[in-house]
Amino acid sequence: MYKEGRILKYMYKQSAGDHVFNISNAVFFALFTLLCTFPIYYLFINTISDNGLVLAGKINLFPEGVHFKNYTALLNVGALKNAAVISVVRTVVGTVCMVLSCAFVGYLITQQQMFARKIVYRFIIITMYFNAGLIPWFVNMSMLGLTNNFWGYIIPAVVQPFNIILIKTYIESIPKEMEESAFIDGAGYFTVFSRIIFPLSKPILATVAVFGAVGHWNSFIDSMILMGSNDKLYTLQHRLYIYLQQATNLERLVQGGSVTKEDIEAALSSRINSMTVAMVSVIPILMVYPLMQRFFQKGLMLGAVKG
Amino acid sequence: MVQTMPGNSRLLDRLPMVVLRCLAVVTFIAAFVAPLNPARLSERINQNASLFTSTISYSTTGSEFIRALDRGWIEQSALTFTYIGALITGLAVAIIAAAFCLSLGKIRMERLSVKIMMSGALAGLAGMGVLRLALGMMEGTSNLDHVKPMNPGGITAFTVLFAAALLVSAAAWLRLPKAVESDRYEIEPKYRLFLMILPFLVLVGLFSYLPLWFWRVSFYDNYIPGVELASEDFVGLKWLRFLFGATRHDILRVLKNTFVMSGIGLATAWLPMMFAIFLSELRFKSFKRGVQTLTTIPNFISWVLVYSVAFAVFSTEGFLNWMLESLGVITEGSNYLLSDKYLWLKMWLYGTWKGLGWSAIIYIAGISSIDPQLHEAATVDGAGRFRRMWHVTVPGLMSTFFVLLLLGISNILSNGMDQYLVFENHSTRSAIEVLDLYVYNIGLGRGSNIPLATLVGMLKSIISVTLLFAANRASKSLRGESIV
Repeated sequence: MYKEGRILKYMYKQSAGDHVFNISNAVFFALFTLLCTFPIYYLFINTISDNGLVLAGKINLFPEGVHFKNYTALLNVGALKNAAVISVVRTVVGTVCMVLSCAFVGYLITQQQMFARKIVYRFIIITMYFNAGLIPWFVNMSMLGLTNNFWGYIIPAVVQPFNIILIKTYIESIPKEMEESAFIDGAGYFTVFSRIIFPLSKPILATVAVFGAVGHWNSFIDSMILMGSNDKLYTLQHRLYIYLQQATNLERLVQGGSVTKEDIEAALSSRINSMTVAMVSVIPILMVYPLMQRFFQKGLMLGAVKG
Repeated sequence: MVQTMPGNSRLLDRLPMVVLRCLAVVTFIAAFVAPLNPARLSERINQNASLFTSTISYSTTGSEFIRALDRGWIEQSALTFTYIGALITGLAVAIIAAAFCLSLGKIRMERLSVKIMMSGALAGLAGMGVLRLALGMMEGTSNLDHVKPMNPGGITAFTVLFAAALLVSAAAWLRLPKAVESDRYEIEPKYRLFLMILPFLVLVGLFSYLPLWFWRVSFYDNYIPGVELASEDFVGLKWLRFLFGATRHDILRVLKNTFVMSGIGLATAWLPMMFAIFLSELRFKSFKRGVQTLTTIPNFISWVLVYSVAFAVFSTEGFLNWMLESLGVITEGSNYLLSDKYLWLKMWLYGTWKGLGWSAIIYIAGISSIDPQLHEAATVDGAGRFRRMWHVTVPGLMSTFFVLLLLGISNILSNGMDQYLVFENHSTRSAIEVLDLYVYNIGLGRGSNIPLATLVGMLKSIISVTLLFAANRASKSLRGESIV
């Protein structure tokens, strides 16, 4: 993506070989882009097409007999509605808490006069490189009473070292004079943070918010491990995982041959169900992502290049 | 001798405050350690609850106990007293923590903090008294078999801590210099900043450092969630011998899977770089941007969703079978997800599909920071397009590539478990089980051998950190730059 200078354009004449390269390069990227997007499109047309055709494997390139009954049918499944609410609340609350605290920690870390600043920073950052492991984490969470508890999703994800690095790097690029003049006017740390630093670091905060929101929306391992006995707290992704497991197991039975007619029917309907649920959980990402992308490539690049 | 006197006496003046602060920190940490929960007066009370949990939720103290209460084995009052005791103790710990924060202030603040510390310690002792009372009530019930009262070590531990805090704060009170008229209640900025970040440090400590305490589970014979480890169950390195004895076959298979999959990843680590370089050669800006946007989308889709997409495309009724059938390559469809052929390659393909566009971003950023004059100079010298790519762009990206490669090497044992968990089924299991998934499977999934799973996780963490430091050292000596 380097910017070609004028000399380069002037000096360099496109040869026939260059044209071949340009075309094959473009074709390659077009194909790869198709590869990345087609499966999602395929999933989508299968959920809105006539169910009979879908189950016969007839819907492959274009939708036929378009209807939205599969989606409205999901509304009647109480467990799914509940899971969707949990996922949404978790994503919103978790992201807000995470962004606010990471921003505040990132700001505090830039204050040179803090007591034991270097140790404090290392104490936080070093946790990126080690973890005790799955089982100790689980035992610890249950000791803290965060199993079968909604806050088990939120509180452990509040401090994210990587996001703190990104935010700190960004804040360091803001001219110091702005802060200093506010201090001279008698502002405290909180005021400086909320009135000056926070508004100025919006691009990086948007980036971090996208990371956090996507992470919260997508995670299912914690739901599976922590919320075992309370299915009211399962997230949408966890529900989807359960559906997919059922669908796979039924397919295996069908392939194995030892099945009844009901098994086959169940396998087929669970196939459509899982596709619809998958589509429901992809849509928010597809809607939010292009809006935020402009923001966050800038933010991430700055952080990545410097950090 | 004479010269050192003032220094010594100042040290003696400061000593009680230092000890007091340490005591406060220890007390605070102890409130989060389950075995030290003083409110666990009966074996029926949840053994996994720390004092903190017992304080914030009545139900944790009582949940296991409700049955005993319903059957009339114990009086409601015993339970109420237990909870009140826990509440008072919890409050005392909170007061002591607050006093710790204030003690970082200037002299007036410090004197205030000592007073608060004293009252916190007194409250704590009162809490211990109430808990002892409750214990007495439990021991007095007629159904000892059902109630199973026990004297938790926590009562002794916390009594000692509170008493020590009381004594030391008295000493500190005597030793602290008097405040002068001009002193005010204030905290120096450097400590104020520290206090502001302290709550977050506590969170990091709770969720990243406290779990390390449970590594000790791997030295015990058995671990049942909610039951405290008993010293007679200590088996030392039994599970290590077991790991390389009885389960040697399994662990070797799992390690092979892990190394092969990480190895494929490392061997193709240059792909994102090539992707970025060729992407930057695209002529049309809008096309370039479109490709970049659309190829990063899969990165934001969870592995469950990747699996559901794969399920739609590769299962018997899926797209791939349709295409192959209509091309006449195969006559009957089959479910590719249920086959274990080329599994490692398939896993790598899924990972690449999901991650390639995203991992290229960092290289795209790198390319845009290469000085265009270098390209111009190369062109003037007669370098063609590929030569410029090879001699200008690639060297400009090498340091990023190198850092990522070293990080990849230090992560060789950690493939993550999401991907492998969702693609795991009966026919793929043996070839797909990587170390992270294996830990889950033997600990929480199919098996429930928690000590063994802890041991494997612990070894993995230790080796990974060692590898990381080795990689860092290599980077330092090769490039004079550290990566951590």
